[in-house]
Amino acid sequence: MSEVSAETANQIDAKGIVIGLVGIYIAGMSGIPYLAFLAGIGAIFATKMGANAVRSVCSYGIGTGVPSIGMLALGMGIISAMFGLAFGWMVDIPFLGPIVGLALALAIGFIVGTLANKVIKLNIPVMERCLTEIAGAGVLVLTGLSVMVAGSLEFPDIARDVVSTGYIAPIFILGALGILHPFNASLGPDETQDRTMVHAYSCGAIAMLIAGICSIAINPIAGAISAVVGLVIWYVTFRGFVKLAKRDAGAGWVGTGLLPPGAM
Amino acid sequence: MSDITVIGMLAENWGSIIGIILGGLCIAVGVHFVPVGGAPAAMAQATGIGTGTVQLAAGSGLTGLLAAGYMYMTLAGVSEASISDVVLISATGAVGAMIMITVTMLVGNWVYIYGVGVPPASAKKDYDPITGDSQAPYVAPGTVGQGIPTVCFVSGAIGGLLGGLGGSLVYCMLMWVNGDPAISSIFAIGVFLVNAVLPSYNIQGTIEGFHDPKFKRVPKAILACFIASLLCGIVAVMIPGIPALGGA
Amino acid sequence: MEPAMGMGLVALMGAAATVAGCSEDLESDIGSQSNPNSQVQLAAQVGYPHRIFNKAISGEPPSNAMICAAGAGVAAMLMASTDVSPLIAIAIGAFVGALLDGIYSVTSYIGRSTSQKRFNQYVYLDVLRNQVLSLMGHAYITTFCIVLISYVMTYVMVDPITGLGGHPFPFPVIALIWGLCVGAIGSSTGDVHYGAEREFQDFKFGSGLNAADSGNITRFAEAGIRSSIDNAWFCSKFGGPATGIAFGMVVFLDNWRSTVFAHVINGWGAVIAGLTIVLVLALYNRKLETYARKKYGPFPEYAGDIEA
Repeated sequence: MSEVSAETANQIDAKGIVIGLVGIYIAGMSGIPYLAFLAGIGAIFATKMGANAVRSVCSYGIGTGVPSIGMLALGMGIISAMFGLAFGWMVDIPFLGPIVGLALALAIGFIVGTLANKVIKLNIPVMERCLTEIAGAGVLVLTGLSVMVAGSLEFPDIARDVVSTGYIAPIFILGALGILHPFNASLGPDETQDRTMVHAYSCGAIAMLIAGICSIAINPIAGAISAVVGLVIWYVTFRGFVKLAKRDAGAGWVGTGLLPPGAM
Repeated sequence: MSDITVIGMLAENWGSIIGIILGGLCIAVGVHFVPVGGAPAAMAQATGIGTGTVQLAAGSGLTGLLAAGYMYMTLAGVSEASISDVVLISATGAVGAMIMITVTMLVGNWVYIYGVGVPPASAKKDYDPITGDSQAPYVAPGTVGQGIPTVCFVSGAIGGLLGGLGGSLVYCMLMWVNGDPAISSIFAIGVFLVNAVLPSYNIQGTIEGFHDPKFKRVPKAILACFIASLLCGIVAVMIPGIPALGGA
Repeated sequence: MEPAMGMGLVALMGAAATVAGCSEDLESDIGSQSNPNSQVQLAAQVGYPHRIFNKAISGEPPSNAMICAAGAGVAAMLMASTDVSPLIAIAIGAFVGALLDGIYSVTSYIGRSTSQKRFNQYVYLDVLRNQVLSLMGHAYITTFCIVLISYVMTYVMVDPITGLGGHPFPFPVIALIWGLCVGAIGSSTGDVHYGAEREFQDFKFGSGLNAADSGNITRFAEAGIRSSIDNAWFCSKFGGPATGIAFGMVVFLDNWRSTVFAHVINGWGAVIAGLTIVLVLALYNRKLETYARKKYGPFPEYAGDIEA
């Protein structure tokens, strides 16, 4: 199966990081609470970046299933994301928060990837790069959705509105599944990149939808806007996913029927 | 400008970093004790519990974390627990994780024995190192063992103990720093996952317990998890909690 | 709170957990999730295309953690911003969890079957329609029970002596942890009944899957082609309830010892009680092992000391 619209990993990473950060900054710094949903849109692109990294690392056998690598990255990601925001607050320059968190996650991701390759001897050539990307994506997703829920970049707001209320739990696990699920759900020799990437958008939109619903308790109108935008993006990308699956399945897309000829 | 600085928090909380590293190492070693057979075990094709390493370790360790969190609150509220309290809290968490993992192994054996009709047997040893029972005749043809024989059961209980201990210790250390159960619990989950996944790469998905030849790989995981926990620890102790933020 | 009331709550949580464990396992059996799914995935590759559902949501623990945490998040939002009763809020949260389960199941069935096109694996839309509602129904029960347990732990349980209320962790975090736990238990207990027995039902009873037969899953039913919705019929006889008992035991025993013995010997009572429980379980496991070895005996194919 030929790649129809092959995006290189660099393009996907650049889009994920730039759109992710811009979304977070507009949502957190513009002072207009209704723009909070932009952080969620940034998180969707970051999800795609993570999903693409999972796609490339998991085409090597990593011995213990697709999910573990995302759990590793999100475990580091949650700590880095919160540290970044806290750091921005401690030095009183909230603007620094997301960038510090991202840089830290990239560094930790690279070190842990090196450990996995050099100490544990997994010997997967793309391990360092992909773990760095997944950790970075994890931070952007978690920061983006947290900022979207709280409507602010200030650490005390996020600690109060997102962590203490526990909304961090759905954000954490939906963000993780957004990164893991697209490739895991398309595993197989006939997997195509564009289908997996559309699926990543749709999983990111689900995370945005649920985070938006949670955010209704904090900023009712901004939360409702985020939820509706998430729902619309989900609907469009889900239709797109089904269309691409139909294209890839070809004659194998049947309403009903017995097993294919020769297999009965 | 807040009066909390990065350097100040690092200088004040170096003890917690050591605690987090110790907790991380406990988790890393504990994962090696848990007998997981991965996907083959779910088809009674390999000895051990039929699931993934990370999932099982996380399931048991975090169950322990729930018990530890409850105990911390009854003992110390949100203030700093004393060292003897920390010992008790970690023990509670360790026992909580042990209960979860022993119940899982026991019911798993019900399914293997009553549902699939196979006696538990290990293929890595000819005789069970604890009971001395012969194993090879009970291994079904074409498989590498099935179920959870006594040696694996004991090993799994030790694994649960270490995992729960490590998770609870990390939680206590974080509570010392920020006094905020919400932040501490979610960070403890994060540290736990990092230290559970790296060892699972080390054992490549399946291990039978401390009698398995793969168990000799422990030092590599200890080194990797030491560095990873050090990084997580340094970062995590610099994050203040709600009580330190004041007025929130 | 009266101690008797506390015990009643612990018992209620144990009962809810039993239901949650059972429905969780049946859901994963209908969808063919987690480790047994590796055989469903392999089947088409070794020349056995099938009409079994292929639900791969990143492993059972994360997917259950996801539906439970999302359900709890929505319930928490409803309780914080409106004055609906907690029960209604939990029910709505569970409904959202079930919807998420449905969406993720649909995408994984379509995605995985499509990616196996070269092995003649079709995407059957009727398979999708038939199973998804059943999956969502079971996911609803699981989410409802787990969010209920988490709610009781956070808001209702009060320590009888200190009077301190509830568990310190936020309510959705507890739901996340119990979701991970029920998924881990389901995939290690009940799924074995599906993977080792139901999936290979036309092989002789009394042994695991011979590696030579990997992928040769049972694709035909009593009449016609097997549909995975019947897996619930088979697994509800043993695997599902066993999972329910396991999760119920974990929730009940763990909460029982921390509630009843929390103040015995300065708290060490809870530790000692827990260790006693572990010891009893280990002894029972040993009895069970010797019973099975005696009852079944060695395999007749065993031919001397050859490494398996």
